[in-house]
Amino acid sequence: MSLALIARLALRSLRGGFRGFGIFFACIALGVATVSGVGSLASAISDGLAREGRTILGGDVSFSVSQRELGEAETAFMQASGALSSVAVFRSMARTGADGSTLVEIKAVDPAWPSSGRARLDTKAELDAPAVQALLAPQSGTDGALIDRQLALRLGLKPGDTVTIGERGLSVRAILDSEPDKLAGGVAFGPRLLMTQDALRRSGLLQPGSLVRWSYRLALGTGGQTVSDAQVAAFIARANAAFPEAGWEARTRDTISPQFGRSIARLAQFLSLVGLTALAAGGAGVASAVGAHVARKRADIATLKALGAPASTVFAGLAAEVGLLAFIGAVPGLLLGAVLPYGLSALLGAALPFPFAAAIYPRALATGLALGLVIALLFALPALGRAHDVPVSGLFRYQVAPLRVRLRLRYRIMIGAVASALLAIIWLSAADRTLALVFLGSVAGIFIVLRLAAVALMALARRLPHPRNATLRLALASIHRPGALTASVFVSLGLSLSLLTALVLVDSSLRQQFSDSLPRQSPSFFFLDIPARDAGSFEAWLKSQSAEARIEQVALMRGRVMEVNGTRAEDVQVKENVAWVLEGDRGITTAQTLPEGSSLTAGAWWAADYDGPPLVSLDSGIAEGLRLKVGDTITVNVMGRNIKAGIANLRKVNWRSMGINFVLVFSPSSFKGAPHSNLASLAYPAGFDAAREEALLKDMAKAWPGITAVRVKDTFDALSDLFSQIAVAVRAASAVVVAAAVLALAGALAAGQETRNRDAVVLKVLGAGRGRILRIFVTEYAALGGLAGLFGLGAGALAAWAVCRYVMEIDFAFAALPVLAMTLAAIAAMIALGLATSWRILGRKPASYLRAA
Amino acid sequence: MTKPLIEMQNVHLSLGQGAARVHILKGISLQIGRSEAVGLTGPSGSGKSTLLMAMAGLERADSGLVRVDGQDLGAMGEDALAAFRGKRIGIVFQSFHLIPTMTALENAALPLELAGAPNAFARAREDLNAVGLGARLSHYPGQLSGGEQQRVALARALVPRPALLVADEPTGNLDETTGRAIIDLMFALRAERGATLVLVTHDAALAARCDRTIRLRSGEIELPAPLRAGAAA
Repeated sequence: MSLALIARLALRSLRGGFRGFGIFFACIALGVATVSGVGSLASAISDGLAREGRTILGGDVSFSVSQRELGEAETAFMQASGALSSVAVFRSMARTGADGSTLVEIKAVDPAWPSSGRARLDTKAELDAPAVQALLAPQSGTDGALIDRQLALRLGLKPGDTVTIGERGLSVRAILDSEPDKLAGGVAFGPRLLMTQDALRRSGLLQPGSLVRWSYRLALGTGGQTVSDAQVAAFIARANAAFPEAGWEARTRDTISPQFGRSIARLAQFLSLVGLTALAAGGAGVASAVGAHVARKRADIATLKALGAPASTVFAGLAAEVGLLAFIGAVPGLLLGAVLPYGLSALLGAALPFPFAAAIYPRALATGLALGLVIALLFALPALGRAHDVPVSGLFRYQVAPLRVRLRLRYRIMIGAVASALLAIIWLSAADRTLALVFLGSVAGIFIVLRLAAVALMALARRLPHPRNATLRLALASIHRPGALTASVFVSLGLSLSLLTALVLVDSSLRQQFSDSLPRQSPSFFFLDIPARDAGSFEAWLKSQSAEARIEQVALMRGRVMEVNGTRAEDVQVKENVAWVLEGDRGITTAQTLPEGSSLTAGAWWAADYDGPPLVSLDSGIAEGLRLKVGDTITVNVMGRNIKAGIANLRKVNWRSMGINFVLVFSPSSFKGAPHSNLASLAYPAGFDAAREEALLKDMAKAWPGITAVRVKDTFDALSDLFSQIAVAVRAASAVVVAAAVLALAGALAAGQETRNRDAVVLKVLGAGRGRILRIFVTEYAALGGLAGLFGLGAGALAAWAVCRYVMEIDFAFAALPVLAMTLAAIAAMIALGLATSWRILGRKPASYLRAA
Repeated sequence: MTKPLIEMQNVHLSLGQGAARVHILKGISLQIGRSEAVGLTGPSGSGKSTLLMAMAGLERADSGLVRVDGQDLGAMGEDALAAFRGKRIGIVFQSFHLIPTMTALENAALPLELAGAPNAFARAREDLNAVGLGARLSHYPGQLSGGEQQRVALARALVPRPALLVADEPTGNLDETTGRAIIDLMFALRAERGATLVLVTHDAALAARCDRTIRLRSGEIELPAPLRAGAAA
C-alpha cells in the first residue's frame, strides 16, 4: 500500500467539497480552541510570573519567619551578600472614631519598599521607595497610612481621616491601588493597610508571640548586576547551613508562590478537562459526520474495491481524508487558542491581578492539536472501519438497509490504541493525574451508561405493543428502526445535560452549605493575638458579654515543618493534595485532651499530666498524604527553635464543624516557655446573630483594641463571593461543552436528515398531510429528547451526589427547579433543532425530491 | 481443447441472513472459453447479476468451484482477490459508477494506480483516446453525458488489459443510439484485445451478438430448448 496513492485518493476525494462537514469542523475547532487557549493562558500567566518574579518577590530571594524578627547574625549574613529589605504582615483591627472597626491585613514596610517595581495610587500616581516614605512619614507626630479602596469604603475613610491601629492613630494619606509584591503575600483575609515598621513598633501591637510574619527580601549581588539561578540556590544552601534552626521559608524569584502556581495549574487543568469534554461531546458530532460521509461514499468505496483496491487501502484513504479534514477543522481552533492571550491582554490589560506574558505558546497549541486529531480519529474509526466491509455487490443492487456489520477486530484494536494514545497525552500533560483520570473515567462512564440506555430503549421500543394511533406508532418506530437517532441523541443531549445537572447541583449543595448548615454550626468569631497573660481576663470579659455563648480558647503558635522522619521537608515525597502542609508555616497548638469534634484513628492520646519529650497528634488524612504513621517523627520550627516530636496518635478531624482545629496538636509541655498568643472562638447557641455580633465588635474595639476579631460571617461572605466568581467561570467553561453538545446534536440530526426526508416524501406520497408529518416528527423528537434528558438528569444528579458525598464531604441538596427547567429547555431545544433540519422538506413537493433521488 | 477461462462447478450461493436468507444460485456448472463472448439472460431475480458477481470474485460461493484464469477464487483471501480483480477482470456497471471527484483520466487510471503499475496515466490516456474521449480527459463525471461516462467506465475496465470483461446491463441507463455505440465499441475493443466478455442483458439483440447465451431461471441454468425436449423424452 503506497502512501502516495493513499494521499492521492484522499486529496481527490476532498475535491467533492466539505458538504456535511460544517458541524464536524465546528466541533473540532471548538475543542481545539478551548484546550489550546486554556494552555496558552496558563503559560502566559506562568511566564508572566517568571518574568516579573523579582519584582513580585521584592528581590532574588526572600526568607520569611513568623512571630520573630531575624537576629543580628542572620541579618549581618544577609547584608553581606546584597541589599536587604523587609516587610511585616499581620492581621489586626482597624478602628475609626465612630464605632467602626474591621479586620485589616497590615503590611509594615521599611524605607527600601518597594525595592523593585512601583506602588500605584488610585490617582494612577506611581510611587518609588522615597515617595512611599514621604507619604508615610510622621506629620505633626502622626504616622501615615495608605489604605486600599475596600477599607476606605468599609470604614468610610478618605485621605486626611484618622484610622486607629492598636493604640495609635494613623493618618490616611492616600488610597492604594496596587503593590508590586502583592502576589507574594498569598491570600489576604482583609483589606490592606500600609504603614512603616517604625509606626508598627510605636503601635504596641508587636508583642512576644504576636502573629506577625516577617519577610526579608534580598537583592543578591552588587551594583544592580543580576545573579544566576544557580547562585541564588547556592546562597539559600549557604544560609540554611549557617542557620539550621532559623525555620525560615525561603522562596526564590522562580518560586514566588507555589500555592498560586498550583492554583493556576489546577484551574488550567480543570478548564482543559472541560475543553476535553467539549471535544468528547463534539466527538459525537464527528462520529455522525463521518458516518454520514461514509454512507454517501458507499458507491465510491465499492467501486474502488471493484477496481482492485484492497479494503485496507480504502480504509487508509478514508482515514487520511478524515485526518486532513480534522486538521482543517483544527486550524481555526488553533488560531483562536493562539490569539486568546493577546485578546485577554488587550481587553483587560492592567486590570489583570497577575503578571501576564501574551505570546504564542507552541506546546499548548501542539497539545490542543494532538488532542483534537486523536479524538477526531477515535470517534471516526468505527465508521471508517465499517467502510472495510462495504460490499461491491451493492453496485449491482439498490440498497436500502444501512450497513450493519460487526467492526473487525483490527479496527477494534486500532480504537483501543488510539484511546490509549489519548490517555497518554492527557496523562503526560495533566497537572493532577488522579483528577484527570477520575474526570475522564466519569465522562467515559456517563458515555457508556447513556449508550447502554439508548440500546435498552431501542430494544424496549421494539417490543412495545403497537399503539393504535398512527402518529404515535410511527414515532415509536423511529426510535428503534435501523439508522435511528436514539444513540447519538442520547450521547450528545444526555452528556451535556448530565454535565450541567452535575454543575448546578454541586453549586446548589455548596450554597446550601454556606447559607444554611454552616452558619448554624459555626462560631461567630475567632479572636487572634490574645496575649497569653490576658487570656483569663479576656475570656471572663467575653462571658460577661454573652453568658450563654460557647467559648473555646487555645494557645496558638506558628510552626514550620522542617523534617519528616529525619528527611528535610523539601525532599519528602508527598501526595500533592497535602503538599501545603510542608510549605510555609502553620498554626499549631498544644492540648491536654483530645480536641472536641475529633476522634482517634490510631495510637493513644497522652495522659493529661504528660510532661515527657514532645509528642504530636496528626490529622489522619494529612498523615496518609505524608505517608506517616504512629511512631514516626516530625520536626517543627517554632520561633527559631527546632522541636522534634514523636507521632503519638492520628485523629480524624471534623473540619466542617468550623471549631478550633489544627493539623498538628502537640503535648502540653512541647514548647515550654515559648512566648505565644491565644486563639479563641465564640459561638452563639442559635448560630450567627448579626445584631449581637456587631454589638460585641463595637464593645471589643474599646475594651480590647489589641485583639483581632475575625467575624466568621465576613469570611463566609468573602468565600461566598469567591465561590460565585468561580461558579461564573465554571459555567462559562461548561457553556463550551454545551455548545459542543448542541453542535453534536445538530450533527446527529443532520446526519439522519436524508432518511427523514425520504420518509417524509414517502409519507406524503401515501397521503400524509404536512400537519401529520409535523406531529410525527415532534412526537419522535419529544420522546427522544425527554428520555435522553431524563437519563442525563439522573446521571448528572448521581455524579453530583458522589462529588458532594465523597470529594467535598458536604450534604447533597437537590435543587429541583433549575434542574427540571434545564431538562425542559433541553427537550425544547431538541424539538426545535429537529424541526429546523426537517422544516424544508415539509414544504417541498414530493415529485421534485423523487426526481432528484 | 485449451483450458477454459472460467470454470464453475456446482456453485451454490445464498444472500441475506436468518429468515431473510435467499438461495440464489442453485448448483451452477459452466465453462467459458478464452476470448468467448457470452450473454447471461433471464427474468429479473433469476440470478444473472449474482452469477456475474461470483465470476468477478465479488460474491463468494457457499459451495462449489469458481476458477477464473486458472485461479480458484474460493481459495483466495480478500486482498488477493481484490488485487487479482484489479489486474485480470474489468467490470462495466449499468450505472457507470465513476468516482465523481476524479477526472475522466484519473477514473480510467485508477485500476493501474491501485495495482502500482508504471505509466498509469499514459496508458489511461491511450485507452480514453481509443474510446473517443481524448478531448475530455480533465472533465469530471458530472460534466460528461451518460454515454461519455460509460465510455470512461469502459476505458477504466479495459485499461489493465484484463482477461475477463464483465458487464452488467451496460446500456440499461442509456438511450438506444448511445447504447448501440457503446456496445459496438465494447465488442470492437474486446475483439482487438482478445478478452473474454460476459454480459448480463435483457436485450435479445445484444444477447444475439454474443457467441453464446446462457439463460438463467430461478438460480439454475435453463437448458436450450432442443436439449430440454431431449431431456423430457
